[in-house]
Amino acid sequence: MQEDGLDSPPRLPTVPSLDDSLVDGIREGDRKATARFVELHADAVYRFVYHRLDRLEAVDDLVQEVFLSAWKALPLFRGESEIRTWLLGIARHKIGDYYRERLREPLISDDLDSESGPDSLAGFPDIDARLDGERLEARTRQALSTLPDRYRAVLIWRYWDQRSLAEMAAISGNTEKSIERLLDRARRIFKKRWDDG
Amino acid sequence: MDSRGNRDEEAFFERLAQAARPGLRAPSRLKSRIYSRLMRQAAESGPLRSLTATQSAGHELCVFEKFVQVLPVGARLDSVNYCRFCHGRVLGERVEGAPIPWSGCPYAEFQRH
Repeated sequence: MQEDGLDSPPRLPTVPSLDDSLVDGIREGDRKATARFVELHADAVYRFVYHRLDRLEAVDDLVQEVFLSAWKALPLFRGESEIRTWLLGIARHKIGDYYRERLREPLISDDLDSESGPDSLAGFPDIDARLDGERLEARTRQALSTLPDRYRAVLIWRYWDQRSLAEMAAISGNTEKSIERLLDRARRIFKKRWDDG
Repeated sequence: MDSRGNRDEEAFFERLAQAARPGLRAPSRLKSRIYSRLMRQAAESGPLRSLTATQSAGHELCVFEKFVQVLPVGARLDSVNYCRFCHGRVLGERVEGAPIPWSGCPYAEFQRH
């Protein structure tokens, strides 16, 4: 049973697929086709990874790994799915590997706060605000990362991509009413996760 | 939920969206680095598609590639990854929004989008 009780969940947005000549171009070492491949999909892969990792400094490396793995596996790509869906699948595996690796890391308590007293921040009045902003961002990313894909997608479209209900309905092939309902559920679940966090 | 509750909820999400960077895109430096790595892998695995074939496929060559194309060089040199030696690559990988003026340059394209 689906978590939100919808009979038919909204479809994920469609994206332009790479045409065969572009895929062939990448396989044959075409410089421009490869650049186009990066240009077309880097933003989506970056957003996908960004909202799922707990450490911002790891995002760039992981996105790069996704593209390198995709390039190596491209001869095996049979075009049965959208190339972006395929890329995000690779990203999902890489994120799984990342968290598995994190679980193996020893816990180190460096307790920086105890080494630097309150006076150490004197003269840097903005640092508290910046840290608050970073904490807020980290907490937001954490809460988003726990949501089912469609809830996360609908929140990101609405509030981060600034899309209207009409646009979201057009992208997903659903009615505005169903998008509104989905958004409402997504907001409630997000708030609950946010409060629990 | 009443309309005040809706307004509060909207305000809450608007604030979060501002904190977590609206319209998030991959940095151009990252795109440049990814492209460089892919091209390095491609060059290591075999000759790149020739500049002539690249152009025939409908892609625009950069000014340096056009220069190489008119030189009397063999097919082997036509398949070299010239970006490796270009300072457009260095700029693209290191400077966000780098001013790279050449058309047909992938690194310049990454800065524009």
